Amino acid sequence: MQYSQKVLDHFMHPHNVGKMENPDATATEGSPSCGDQVTIFLKIDKDSKIIEDVSFLSYGCASNIATASIITDLAKGKSLEDAKKISYEDAMEALDGLPPVKVHCSVLAADTLQTAISNYEIAHGLKEVPDFGKETILAELKKIIYPQVGTDIVTLKMVKYVGFSDGEVLIDMNMMSFDSWRENVAEEIHEHLDKYPEVKKVTINFP
Amino acid sequence: MKSGSVYLDNCVTSPMAPEVLDAMMPYFSERFWFPGSFVSTGESTNDALSGFAHTIAAAIGARDEEIHFTSGGTLANNIAIKGLAGSAQRGHVICSVVDYPDLLTNAAWLEKQGFEVSYLPADDEARIDLVALKQAIRPDTFLFMTTIVNHVVGTIQPMKEISEILKAADHKIYFHADAGQAFGKMPLQVDDYGIDTMSISAHKIHGPQGIGALYVRKGLRLAQTIHGIKRADNLQTGGLSIALIAGFAKAVEMNFADLPGSIRQLRELSDYLYARLQEKIDHIELNGPMGEERAAHNINVSIDYIEGESMAMMLDMHGITVATGSACASQGLKPSYVLMAIGKNHVQSHGSMKFTLSRYTTREQLDFAVDKLAEITTELRSRSPLYNAAKNQEK
Repeated sequence: MQYSQKVLDHFMHPHNVGKMENPDATATEGSPSCGDQVTIFLKIDKDSKIIEDVSFLSYGCASNIATASIITDLAKGKSLEDAKKISYEDAMEALDGLPPVKVHCSVLAADTLQTAISNYEIAHGLKEVPDFGKETILAELKKIIYPQVGTDIVTLKMVKYVGFSDGEVLIDMNMMSFDSWRENVAEEIHEHLDKYPEVKKVTINFP
Repeated sequence: MKSGSVYLDNCVTSPMAPEVLDAMMPYFSERFWFPGSFVSTGESTNDALSGFAHTIAAAIGARDEEIHFTSGGTLANNIAIKGLAGSAQRGHVICSVVDYPDLLTNAAWLEKQGFEVSYLPADDEARIDLVALKQAIRPDTFLFMTTIVNHVVGTIQPMKEISEILKAADHKIYFHADAGQAFGKMPLQVDDYGIDTMSISAHKIHGPQGIGALYVRKGLRLAQTIHGIKRADNLQTGGLSIALIAGFAKAVEMNFADLPGSIRQLRELSDYLYARLQEKIDHIELNGPMGEERAAHNINVSIDYIEGESMAMMLDMHGITVATGSACASQGLKPSYVLMAIGKNHVQSHGSMKFTLSRYTTREQLDFAVDKLAEITTELRSRSPLYNAAKNQEK
């Protein structure tokens, strides 16, 4: 497994790294217990809604640092509307690709940026706190990358069924018993859903 | 800096001694013959092989005929474990949760074949639980296996106590030991511990890659697992490289010429390394035991707030090779099962660095590695949200 030169450059000399004093918005995603965590800070012009400054902190591997670096590059100087379109695929492309097992790092970086933007919008009355439901669960599952191929589990049709009632999430997965990534994917599902106060219990069924 | 110019991952494989290469050369060229009878070529190889087996046997207090050459430690483990299981046909096996993957994957395979396996827990320094061992023994237990020196944190298992427990059982329990990390790093005589089968490997003590040996106590019959023509050995049938065996013997000869001296040298180096790490880096802790209960070549630490793959990659850019238990650096995205089994958390495993030294390691190399790691730690901590949060709390 090898990293591209771009990844190595951003890892060794990351852009926009460091804590920001008095940011207009911030978000932290990931958890150290699962291996990586990213914090993103935004400075946003009140009137133009342009991201004037952005910085990050990262606890994680080389690709975690590199993807956070590139995502802040991509966001800097963009309007909130344009920045909302930045995806993990954009980050990967800008880094000349990532090994499949590392794609989840770019998802984390992109996700943290989007959460920071969303936090800003909610705080400034630009949008409502979204209702939690099946849509939210599916959106979260779409952020989970199957490490073998580097594509999300929804696109790969590994999610057969999603249910939500009375705080209980039920997910039926289509992953064979010999698939060595089952445990890893289950951990990721918990990490993505347990953070919602609406979620009391997550049950994942494998065939 | 050239890749691997400060190589501190000697528990995986170690550089071959130049003398070992010299010892192998004749067997790659004019003395290429396989063993044989009645002809001078084959007989001279017989004699050479006997000499090599003798050198290796003497190092572990074994008889020459108890040494069986294999293509490495893993094959030796397989021949022993599957051979003992094949003889037993059914029954119960005991190993531990901190064992080397060779033993654990074989244990999993045995379970699939219908054997039952008990996995002993370990304490917070990776010592197996002796009370649990006593309790795990059943009338149908036929095999206990252990990794003498833990491959992650260097813990030397309490071999004397283990052997006494096994001896006290009211029936024979075979004792298989993986000595991959122990051979040449500690005094190890098979009779001291009642070991029945033991795997050793050449390339971890500056011998060539691709050769190892299995010790099998005289009189013990293993079910044959590899069938074929007998050339150099009856357990690993087929051809084996005489040159590699010659190199193995030379490496053993060099390592064991002054074993206490070479252990002392490694112990001094690893004590020096740990002292330097503590001096230069704060929020750092040793994983595994201190002192005599730890193999002399291993230092494993966890560095708080930062992640191991990043550290290892940055060290690599300075030509320094180390290992980490970080999930990010593993193909399966899993933290080190050994560190997790001894009560460390994910963060401690992600931030772990393993240094394994050899006779070629110098203090200058260790100084360079520690200085670079201290710089890297400062840099990565400045990028870390965990470190920033901890600093805020301190304020």
